[in-house]
Amino acid sequence: MRVTIAGAGAVGRSIATELLEFGHQVMLIERDPDQLDPHAVEGAEWVLADACELTSLEEAGLERSDVVIAATGDDKVNLVVSLLAKTEFAVRRVVARVNSPRNEWLFTEAWGVDVAVSTPRMLAAMVEEAVSVGDLVRLMTLRQGQANLVEVTLPADTPLAGQPARQLHLPADAALVTILRDGRVIVPQGDDTLEAGDELLFVAAPEVETDVRAALSRRRI
Amino acid sequence: MHVVIMGCGRVGAALALALERLGHDVAVIDQSLQAFRRLGADFHGQQVRGVGFDRQVLIEAGIERAGAFAAVSNGDNSNIISARVARETFGVTQVVARIYDHKRAAVYERLGIPTVATVPWTTDRFLRILLLDNEPVPWRDPSGTVAVVQLPLHEGWAGYLVGDLEEHLGARVAFIVRFGTGVLPHHDTVVQADDQVYAAAVSGTVTDVVTAAATAPPTTS
Repeated sequence: MRVTIAGAGAVGRSIATELLEFGHQVMLIERDPDQLDPHAVEGAEWVLADACELTSLEEAGLERSDVVIAATGDDKVNLVVSLLAKTEFAVRRVVARVNSPRNEWLFTEAWGVDVAVSTPRMLAAMVEEAVSVGDLVRLMTLRQGQANLVEVTLPADTPLAGQPARQLHLPADAALVTILRDGRVIVPQGDDTLEAGDELLFVAAPEVETDVRAALSRRRI
Repeated sequence: MHVVIMGCGRVGAALALALERLGHDVAVIDQSLQAFRRLGADFHGQQVRGVGFDRQVLIEAGIERAGAFAAVSNGDNSNIISARVARETFGVTQVVARIYDHKRAAVYERLGIPTVATVPWTTDRFLRILLLDNEPVPWRDPSGTVAVVQLPLHEGWAGYLVGDLEEHLGARVAFIVRFGTGVLPHHDTVVQADDQVYAAAVSGTVTDVVTAAATAPPTTS
């Protein structure tokens, strides 16, 4: 696949390196000559240009890219690059980095963004996942918000200990996907029971998260 | 009408003051408190400190009841993002953005955001003065098919009827500026000495019309 990355700072470069290892063709567009360092990511094509300028993108042949990643540290640039990539160059998949959570709401299809990645939010979620027990933690959003990957670690005094997983009163649009226990990944089947300390992974629509939470705190199921 | 302006630089401040003088209700957004000083003591509108495309900031500036929005910060990206948010998210009908990169301006015009491309305008004005270009510059309509141009009228036309002049020119006399006042002529209006005559012509004939105007009236035998 041909991938174009706007922004060759630390984030852009790491993404480029990974993608090259997977065998993709990578082009890095960077505006600042001081950040231009082809030896840092060998094998990638480096372009010194402003990724928001139409002429630059035309010269770089953006229409030939399968994926564009707007990875700069400036949300405004990432939005504009995404929009241009989608509307002017019909790029199939546009991934954009969200720097400030306050701007997250903008990163939608209206701006040409197929996938928005918010580092602060991911970090916060990872912290939550590590430290909170008993609360439902949202790890990841899928399909522009149609569903979330959520997890809960069952506390020591969980009313669900010893109860069969398949009897959890889950709402529609929610599924218990995996139980993580003692380094094992368990796909709940048959009479598999739940235990204190289990980490449960669900995929659930945002609207039913409250019902999932309720299902987990019931005394008898 | 309530108008929200993003950017309190020289243009933003001038726009705010002008709109207020015309009786509109104005709110100005800028990230810098210093910038608001340009408004002076006579400004009675709202001053909101913040990022112009931030939802909360816009709401605070009254975007929900605004009839118009102007994006005149010094950043193209900020201008276009806030203009689009004003239009798409808040439904403001009269929206305009100042854009320095005129090629990007074309993209946004296509997306329905009117833009003012500062650089071509300014360059044109500079060129005219630097090159002592005294050739009359026609105003053209957006389709480019008709133009209005000031005529270098030969003094021999004083005393003639506008109708006769029109026949000679192959164009319509759009208006005459006489002693500093605009006059809409009839075909039997008499051309006076020192009249500034403007003609409306079909594109492609402008040069001929200008040449014809500069020649003396044909002597009738």
